[in-house]
Amino acid sequence: MSKRVNIHGLWVAALLACSSPVLAQSPGTSPGTPPVVVEPIVPATPPSASVLSVQCAVPVAQISTPAPLARMIAQLESGRALRILAIGSSSTWGVGASAYRRNYPSQLERILEKTWKGLEVEIINRGVSGELAATTASRLISEAALVRPDLILWQLGTNDALARIPINQFAETVRSTVRLLRKSNMDVVLVGLQYTPRYARDEHYKAVRMKLQSIAAEENLLYVRRFQAMEFIARTQSNQQMMAEDNFHLNDLGYQCMAEHIAQAVIGSLFVRRPRGTPGPRT
Amino acid sequence: MSGENSTRQKLPSSRILPNEAGRGSGRLSNEIDFWRGVALVMIFINHVPGIWFENWTTRNIGTSDSAELFVFLAGFSLRYLADSRTENLTTPRLFMRLEGRAFTIYAAHILTTVLALALLATAAVLLQTNLILTWHNAQAFFQDPAPTIIGIAAVSHHLGYFDILPLYIALMSMAPFIVLLHRHAPQLLIPVSLAIWAATLTAGFNLPTWPVENRWFFNPLAWQLCFVTGFVLTKPTGLGAWARKHLLALRLIAIPILIAGFFAKYNELRWPSPLEVPWPEMFFVYNKTFLSPLRFIHMLALAALITGVFAWAYRFRVFALPGDYLCLLGRNSLNVFCPGSILSLTGQVVRFAAPDSIFVDIAVLLTGIFLMSAVAWASEWRSRI
Repeated sequence: MSKRVNIHGLWVAALLACSSPVLAQSPGTSPGTPPVVVEPIVPATPPSASVLSVQCAVPVAQISTPAPLARMIAQLESGRALRILAIGSSSTWGVGASAYRRNYPSQLERILEKTWKGLEVEIINRGVSGELAATTASRLISEAALVRPDLILWQLGTNDALARIPINQFAETVRSTVRLLRKSNMDVVLVGLQYTPRYARDEHYKAVRMKLQSIAAEENLLYVRRFQAMEFIARTQSNQQMMAEDNFHLNDLGYQCMAEHIAQAVIGSLFVRRPRGTPGPRT
Repeated sequence: MSGENSTRQKLPSSRILPNEAGRGSGRLSNEIDFWRGVALVMIFINHVPGIWFENWTTRNIGTSDSAELFVFLAGFSLRYLADSRTENLTTPRLFMRLEGRAFTIYAAHILTTVLALALLATAAVLLQTNLILTWHNAQAFFQDPAPTIIGIAAVSHHLGYFDILPLYIALMSMAPFIVLLHRHAPQLLIPVSLAIWAATLTAGFNLPTWPVENRWFFNPLAWQLCFVTGFVLTKPTGLGAWARKHLLALRLIAIPILIAGFFAKYNELRWPSPLEVPWPEMFFVYNKTFLSPLRFIHMLALAALITGVFAWAYRFRVFALPGDYLCLLGRNSLNVFCPGSILSLTGQVVRFAAPDSIFVDIAVLLTGIFLMSAVAWASEWRSRI
């Protein structure tokens, strides 16, 4: 009954990602850094192998630093259906998208099913617009127990930054919740703050981003640097409309990029630092 | 203990429920109103996330918060009404009275929700940022109003922090059945309530929300236990008599629970992981939606410890002014709760727009407390004219 998943396509994607000259380069975040030319990525990657489309192309190193996803690998190797809990605020629910199927979890589900032919992926969307991390954390615990996901995508930070929740309080919420989930080897991915020119220079907004990044590093978590990735696109493809009419939330294309970036981060993490004792994926 | 009982028994029941006319002069303050007032102020503060005073509410000292206290005390009010001789509540009158009360709360909830949406819209226009329209699940209304207004009217769409009144509506709709059971088979009340709670936690069942696919933040089938427990413990009969008789022993049990709750709150690896706990999971995780045992037991322990404190403290003159103030709020709980939640939201907008400063937090707190008491005062004044 259970199908073996073909992860061959993944290897191709990962190898291409690693071998691309642009992707190996780590562009600095200092304002003086010249914009990175993105063209070379696109022709080098056949559409079937890479999850990043032309419009959403960002150097992989900008999107995330790979971190182990042991539980997801085990699930993929067993060939069972993959159940993902997408929780967070408006960006998870899909504010600005033209339809529910255009929000990021729906698009991500299709990307992952396309990447692993024959794999059944179910993404459960538990986004509540405008919610703060502390409230989401409380829902996250009960949802995790009830839904029993293989992977949790927790999108957070934007509302806490805007409500000026003290950084330490925010960090404590995230850290304690993540540690709780990780006690049982749950794979947790933190999906970072929304990019918006309006808050690009806001000190608190930046501090929350930096804090999330440092928590992810301390806890060895996969963290999707949404802000940096979207800022990169805004810089390099400025004629591309990624934002909804409110100029804060994403439109359909914005959500497509968000889904692709998360997919890229997750897939990229499947090939690094495998926990001892588990065999590597065979091609 | 006897002092506390006599304080309670001296009270005519009509003073307990808000909106009840005929409050005479003299000593209006009582323990239930006092703690209700405390809960109202704490809910106001807790609903302005990030405000400095948030560090000083009961949720920082243990595993329950003011929501439990509020629902527990709502059970007290119901009991006073149910046992009231002056009300002469025959079964049809009981249904009419309590379902009518549920409808009043429903009306208050709809009004509060509409005002909250209008407040967010005003803030979005004034501050020129549509971002505010997404706050607290409001986005569904502004983006897709047709299904959302149906959801609001059907109480299946709740704004974040405006989700206690839906629970209260549900509890008050169940209230006639609680009172009937209390009249005909009082010994069954706690077993039935516990069984419903346990079945809900075991099945992980919760009411769905729509159009935003989610679940109720306060699961009424779980939280009814808190309500019914308050109802049962109000009077010195049955379990209430037993609790009063063994209050000292209960307090001795409560103290280590509260100490453990305090340390649990400040220990990083405080709760069992939701994926590691045995089935049924909801009994072991720390969860507000399902009123998990960790929260409920803490609330009971806290209640055992603080009961009677009011009567004791009231002997000291210095306590009279803040005590009377909190009682004023507590007596008018629904009338204060609704504007209180709007004031919390206003506080959030102010904290968003104003620079980050402790003075802003102080101004938000003082303005909120002043306006809440003004509303309470006006409610009582209105009922006298």
